Amino acid sequence: MENNNNVLVVGSGISGIASALELANAGVNVYLLEKEALVGGHSASFCCKATDICSQCSACVVSDKVKEAITDPRITVLTGSTIKRLRGEAGDFHVEVVRRPLYVNGERCIACGLCTGVCPTDPKAIHPPFAEALPFSFVLDDGLCLRIKGERCDLCRTSCPTGAIEFDLKAKEEELNVGAVIVATGFDVFDAREKGSLGYGRYPNVVTGLDLEHIFAREGYLRLPTDGSEPKNIAFIQCVGSRDEGHGYCSQVCCKYAMRLAGLIRYQNPDARVTIFYIDLQTAGKGFAQFYEKYRQDIRFVRGVPVEILQTASGELEVKFEDISRGRVSRDNFDLVVLSVGISPAKNSWDLARILGINLADDGFFDVKDPLSRNETNVEGVFLAGTCQGPKDIPDSIGHGIAAASKAMQVLAKPVGRGRAS
Amino acid sequence: METKVGVFFCNCGGAIKNIDFDAALREVARLPGVISVNLDSSLCLEEGKERMVSSIRDEKMERVVVAGCSPLLKEHIFQGILEKAGLNKHLLSMANIREQCSWVHDGDVTAKAVDLVRMAINRVLLLQPVETKETAVSKEVLVAGSGFAALNVALQLSHLGLRTTVMEEGPVLRAGSEEPAAVYGVDASSIIAEVEANENVEVLTSARVMTLEGKVGGFGVRIKKAGKETFRRYGAIVLATGHRTEIVNPGAEAGASVVSQKAFTDILRNSSLEREPRTVGFILDFSDENSRFPTLATLNSALAAKKKWGSEIYVFYKSVKVDSEGVERLYQQARDSGVVFVKSETAPKIGVEDGRVKVEGRDVFAGEDLVLACDVLVAEELYLPAEGTETFSSLLNVRTDPKGFWQDDNVHLYPVGSEKKGIFFVGGCRGDLDPGRMLADISGVAMNIGELLSAGKVAADFERVKADPQKCVACLTCIRVCPHGAIQLVRVESSKDVAQISDLACDACGVCAAVCPAKAIAFQGYRDEEILAQIEAIKRS
Repeated sequence: MENNNNVLVVGSGISGIASALELANAGVNVYLLEKEALVGGHSASFCCKATDICSQCSACVVSDKVKEAITDPRITVLTGSTIKRLRGEAGDFHVEVVRRPLYVNGERCIACGLCTGVCPTDPKAIHPPFAEALPFSFVLDDGLCLRIKGERCDLCRTSCPTGAIEFDLKAKEEELNVGAVIVATGFDVFDAREKGSLGYGRYPNVVTGLDLEHIFAREGYLRLPTDGSEPKNIAFIQCVGSRDEGHGYCSQVCCKYAMRLAGLIRYQNPDARVTIFYIDLQTAGKGFAQFYEKYRQDIRFVRGVPVEILQTASGELEVKFEDISRGRVSRDNFDLVVLSVGISPAKNSWDLARILGINLADDGFFDVKDPLSRNETNVEGVFLAGTCQGPKDIPDSIGHGIAAASKAMQVLAKPVGRGRAS
Repeated sequence: METKVGVFFCNCGGAIKNIDFDAALREVARLPGVISVNLDSSLCLEEGKERMVSSIRDEKMERVVVAGCSPLLKEHIFQGILEKAGLNKHLLSMANIREQCSWVHDGDVTAKAVDLVRMAINRVLLLQPVETKETAVSKEVLVAGSGFAALNVALQLSHLGLRTTVMEEGPVLRAGSEEPAAVYGVDASSIIAEVEANENVEVLTSARVMTLEGKVGGFGVRIKKAGKETFRRYGAIVLATGHRTEIVNPGAEAGASVVSQKAFTDILRNSSLEREPRTVGFILDFSDENSRFPTLATLNSALAAKKKWGSEIYVFYKSVKVDSEGVERLYQQARDSGVVFVKSETAPKIGVEDGRVKVEGRDVFAGEDLVLACDVLVAEELYLPAEGTETFSSLLNVRTDPKGFWQDDNVHLYPVGSEKKGIFFVGGCRGDLDPGRMLADISGVAMNIGELLSAGKVAADFERVKADPQKCVACLTCIRVCPHGAIQLVRVESSKDVAQISDLACDACGVCAAVCPAKAIAFQGYRDEEILAQIEAIKRS
């Protein structure tokens, strides 16, 4: 019997893509499963944070790699798909996959934009994906679409020149036969509404770090959500959803993204004042020292994490914080407050853990078998890549993804029927 | 005979509205070389691809121009179509009449679209095919260094069927004596035994690299051991030479009571103190705010000392670096076990009083000055590149980051990769790494090298970038600017030296072609005459 030369990668964020590309380069056939309509995950939606020089945020690496992955003949991308069941053993797994209808057929859509032009909803229910997402096929938001809500609208379907829009689709099931499975399902951003006293969701000028990424990625510059004016006094609050009672870990990315975004804001508007409230600054990492030197000049760093934000009558945001250097509680006003939200375990982790038979660690991320082997799970042949195992930045996610590919290769290389008895 | 060019317009399902395609087709059909002009509405869909393949075949086209969307989105699709039709994929030129024409202007843009197509035709007539060729590569790998990372890389490569040479300058393998091994209590003896028993791993101690030449797949290395030099060939090189540490502000008069992290772990392990220390101090993160490892070492050592001696422990620090896996937990555990963390903005002063080390600092939380007398003070350490890194990097011609660690801080370099193909870094030598990141490095480097060398041959574009030996004057400009170290001088015709570009090492960035003062270097697809011909096409008389 021949060795199975297929691997299933679950999740198409940067770590899943890194795994898939390495495996494909090594001659392995890869199924890249993605529950959303688009490939790329969180990191594909991040903005470039370059000022006059590159700030080494790695966001640009993602789009290159996404494109490489979707054009690789050895990688089969299955969007809108989830795992229903896993049977078999390392070297010979059978995976039942459910593909939900996406309404826009990615193989037929030529991204001409005619559908968006005729869509009657506001915002448009059918629209282009964010800039770095691929395949460059339009997406239909089933929460907005009138047709899906039961009305008789058929405008986009009739305007489509290639017949790419199909409404009467049913979910499909297929079975994949693979030698190994790499779980790369990523993370969910901490929901800042859980920290009610910080006012997210109540005050429009309180945004999250991810919101700010999207604002820069979409618009290229920063304006106040309320009146569109340029904010002059901005605060970042660190460790929102990290290093607290429910999250016994550091999210590893927030200090650096906050400093890089602050640097970008100051570059675009040198008159803007930026304050970062923090517990401990995480400034380690390749090449970061040179940026930190500059950020120390440009940004006001205040030790202490604010507990309350109130909106004043004039619309400013009053931040109440413990001023440690003076030993008292202080207040300061800002036009915009950015909550540096952390990395939380993905909400569907528990379901996937049950389907695959893998363990969850105390903090909610997937657990490793042994602290000296951080890709291997308790199920032989099922490996972890990226932030589903714990917080990581883009380079670390790529590194972890490649390492997972390496482990999967070792399973495929094992002679079939021998040495797998246990 | 004139080259036969086929032109394919695509109106993108009707989304390109402000071009009069009939007029454009008529005008383009008159251009020299054009044997056929087609209009399609969906070239990138299966049916469109089929139509295009049969047109190319039936009309015996030799060059193809596609006028439609952005090459960024679809060039790879059209290149695939050319290959399917039996043409070299480099004989394609695209005119972006969608994003760069129709969608950015109001009103009729037929004239601009025709201009863009005319430019593409002028370019496509000059394009030359680029073939792919396979080159044999050596399946041997040199691993420089003998720490935990180095030995694990060698073992993982041996599982992939590659032979490795583990080379260490010192007389013994280093894995057992490393600080990380001591901090984590990793037992190195089993891995050393495994390496020594593995027939695919050769161990060379007291050996040094004298010279290095060549490229990925066939690096030539002269190794000196016991006064004798041998020359060997390696397909890839892994640098795993580790790091070194240096104590900051040792406070000379305090003498033996101020120790390094490594010395402290030895004391813990060997119980080499005359009496157990009642008070232990640590200093962390004032002089070097960019290292993670000191936080890890401090937390592990503080917990171990608390457990072993029940000492009072004070950590003076600016920021704990908790951005590695499990470190926040460890920090919490240390606080729960009674370790006192004193947060300061500036480094404490170290002196001596009554034979004990005196530490004077300020606690920003309490808002008070604090004076502490301790029996042992574990000093702050700088985490630095290993000695010899500079010499080695000039030998290899690879760049270091601003702190002098190996590997440039270029985000486009994958974690273990260098700008020179075939040279990889793993572990502490590329910056301070916690165990999680180091483990990922080890597997990553094995994966990368496995892909590169396992088959014993590598496919690469043949002469996509080439220096013309007739024009080259050996000025060395290209060799200096090549970021990938892909160019070297070779001797031709007994006395003439010319630049030669390695197809395997070249990344086709084009920098050399741009700077060559003699215009001797041609980058297929971007040659001067191809650019000039495009400009010629839109020159208004």
